[in-house]
Amino acid sequence: MNPKQLACIILLMVIGTMTYTAQIIHKKVATTRAEAEDAETAAVTAENERSTAEIETTVFKSNTEDLRRFLRSWLPAIEHVQTQQEAEQNIELSLRERGINLVRSRKTESKTSVGNKLIPRSVITTLTIEEEFAKVLNWLGDIERRLPTARMKVVQITGGSTITQLKMDVSFETPIFDLAAADADKKKAAPKPKAKATKS
Amino acid sequence: MNEYLCHDFKTPRIDTSRRLPSSFRAIPVIFYLALAGSAYVMTMDYFNYKKALKQKVDAEERQALSETQRDAFKNEKADLEAEANKADQVAKWMEGARNIQPIAVKIARAVQTDTRITQMALERSEQVPANIALTLHLNGSQVSTELAAIEAALGQLLYRSYSPQQTKNGDVVEYHSTLVRQAD
Repeated sequence: MNPKQLACIILLMVIGTMTYTAQIIHKKVATTRAEAEDAETAAVTAENERSTAEIETTVFKSNTEDLRRFLRSWLPAIEHVQTQQEAEQNIELSLRERGINLVRSRKTESKTSVGNKLIPRSVITTLTIEEEFAKVLNWLGDIERRLPTARMKVVQITGGSTITQLKMDVSFETPIFDLAAADADKKKAAPKPKAKATKS
Repeated sequence: MNEYLCHDFKTPRIDTSRRLPSSFRAIPVIFYLALAGSAYVMTMDYFNYKKALKQKVDAEERQALSETQRDAFKNEKADLEAEANKADQVAKWMEGARNIQPIAVKIARAVQTDTRITQMALERSEQVPANIALTLHLNGSQVSTELAAIEAALGQLLYRSYSPQQTKNGDVVEYHSTLVRQAD
């Protein structure tokens, strides 16, 4: 091999090296551009997801506004009775303030609801009182005002021992709400927005 | 140096190595073309690389920001769902905890003085607590009129008598019905 041929070969090798290097760099750039495009696509997807989440949250917030406002309006009443003692105290005060002197029987028992996380406990009160017509009905109204979350189960009014008196057997359930425990149960399906219930 | 020798220098000499083929002249041209081409491509690639890298970093930042905001919205929605769920349960409870005293008062006021209510019972349904079973024992001459007045009075409280029944037992008329509250 003469020097001219050797020079040609070296030159060809240099050309080859340059071309190869340029190709490698070009491939690397192409990969980076593809990654950039993928990142762009992922960013657009994430933006769409964010937008969807924002719309869903706003719509849900708007749809459940009445329902959540209803809960907020009832929070003071719910927090008012958190123990059995508080429920009994309210009943005692009501009887005393409304002048119900003849309480024929009175029974209070605690009820536990295992499946209900919002109302795990409730107090069931059974009372038999005997008083004048107005006093009896006013006391009933008063106890419903003092314990607005209480659910009257049975109210039975019959004649009393005298003609002016009435005997009332009443049984009601006062729930002890546990809102903190209900917070842990976030995975439940979202309820449909419904009309606000008001206590008449 | 003599003349002969000088003359000898000027005589054409045969190449020590053979000439390269003519096509090999293109190799330097190709070299320069490759050099220029590679320089152009690599320069453009450099700028493209920088641009792509910036685009990638920007996109990743946007993605991260969007994901953070999306998670925040999802958390907010989860909180709202939990609150709405609680509110729904409270509403269901309160639907079955409407005051009974106004019903008793309405019934008492609806009857005339010559009619006597000997017994009144209001009992909430276990299955549907919003419904109330009403039992009345009335004693009087115009019981039917009084019962119509009672039903009308309960209508003012948005309660409708469902499946009312009357049975007469001597002078006493027993009235049973289920009070169903109408929508507001």
